[in-house]
Amino acid sequence: MTTRTNALSEKQFGLWTFILSECVIFSAYFVIFMLYRMHDAEGFRSAQTQLSPAFGMLNTIVLLTSSWQIALSVQGARSGMHAAAARRAIITLGLGVVFILSKLTEWTRESRSGHTFGTNDFFSFYFFLTGIHLVHVFIGFAFIAAAIRNLRGDEASAESIEAAATYWHMVDFLWVVIFALLYVAG
Amino acid sequence: MTSVVAENDSARPSSLFDRLAWHWRSNPKIDLWIAWWGMLIFYILFGVIFVLMTHVIPPPSPAWSTEQIIQWFGEHRDGIRYGFSLTFLITGMAALCNAIIGYSMWRMSISKAFPIAYIILYSLSAIPGMLFCAILFTVGALRPERDPALIVWLYEAAMLTFVGTMGVFLLGTLVWLIAVLIDKNRVLPPWFGYLNICNLLTEVVVAPAWTARRGAFSWSGSITFWVDVAVFGVYTAAFIAVLRRMVEREDFGSGPLTD
Repeated sequence: MTTRTNALSEKQFGLWTFILSECVIFSAYFVIFMLYRMHDAEGFRSAQTQLSPAFGMLNTIVLLTSSWQIALSVQGARSGMHAAAARRAIITLGLGVVFILSKLTEWTRESRSGHTFGTNDFFSFYFFLTGIHLVHVFIGFAFIAAAIRNLRGDEASAESIEAAATYWHMVDFLWVVIFALLYVAG
Repeated sequence: MTSVVAENDSARPSSLFDRLAWHWRSNPKIDLWIAWWGMLIFYILFGVIFVLMTHVIPPPSPAWSTEQIIQWFGEHRDGIRYGFSLTFLITGMAALCNAIIGYSMWRMSISKAFPIAYIILYSLSAIPGMLFCAILFTVGALRPERDPALIVWLYEAAMLTFVGTMGVFLLGTLVWLIAVLIDKNRVLPPWFGYLNICNLLTEVVVAPAWTARRGAFSWSGSITFWVDVAVFGVYTAAFIAVLRRMVEREDFGSGPLTD
């Protein structure tokens, strides 16, 4: 029993180390973005108006809803309702897919409008930040898929979905900051 | 599950020379320690060569003019030639790094395909990631009278192969990451498994270096180079530390390692 508790603590410690490391790395990206923005405030403001705030809002709503679903999944798993928790986790995955499709549509739209990675500094940051965030969404899929597998298995517990939810909330939080920096900050 | 040996601390002599002789004759982990020290010395020499001797780290700018590139080669001609000749002398030590990392996976409760895949991937990755760059820079520094257009070509090819090919390490990092996270023998701590994800992501982030000639995403940029190198520095220090701990804990058994 002691070994099991220690092993779980180690895993949780590992996950939190990872999440804090990712937050530090993203903070560095955000600071660098702000420095470039300060250096060319007018250029960034002008390029920002080319983005579609509707897509930004849609992405934000989809991710916030997915975070709500995974929180409900954790609640279900803690109450022992593993099947219901697995269903909520699948909905979270589905919303993640919607987010990805929405992002791909937005990128296609921007490319067709002549805005690519090399257009200017703003669009370099736009494609980079949204792109690296998308990679994190895919990593989140791996966490959630592992949690669903656990919830459907014979040794179902809340730990796996709790880990997935912790990571997914970080992905959500990072998106909110990216949304604010790219779409909103004037 | 078997637990076979531990280092016998009480039998160790006190003087440095005698202690080394004792380790050579009696320490059952001598091969692991040689690999670990070889890895440490390799990374120290790698830093000295690339930072202090050849000045390839921090990387010079991709936006430089032909004159600036020629001047840079002129200023660092001796450092590049002597530094990279040393690189070829120590290249074999990279095998010790791969060996001890491969050993860590060999000791885990996972398929042996993991260490084999890792060793193959990282052995191949060293070719574009270190050796091509060393050859191209050395050729550039060898004849200052060479056509400037060729010098620029060598400079750009060398920098792209040095910074831009980090992606080839990606799959190797992924193999180690999965191995640590699914291992039940507790050979390496889970936090280190997760730290592999951070390192893996830096290998994705470096991709824009192929397209940007200036700014944060160029090969010398704040994101593509500086953030990545900071993460890689922490990651390298971490794996050197956790591998040392693994060697200390090694009992040559087949079950979980104890603390």
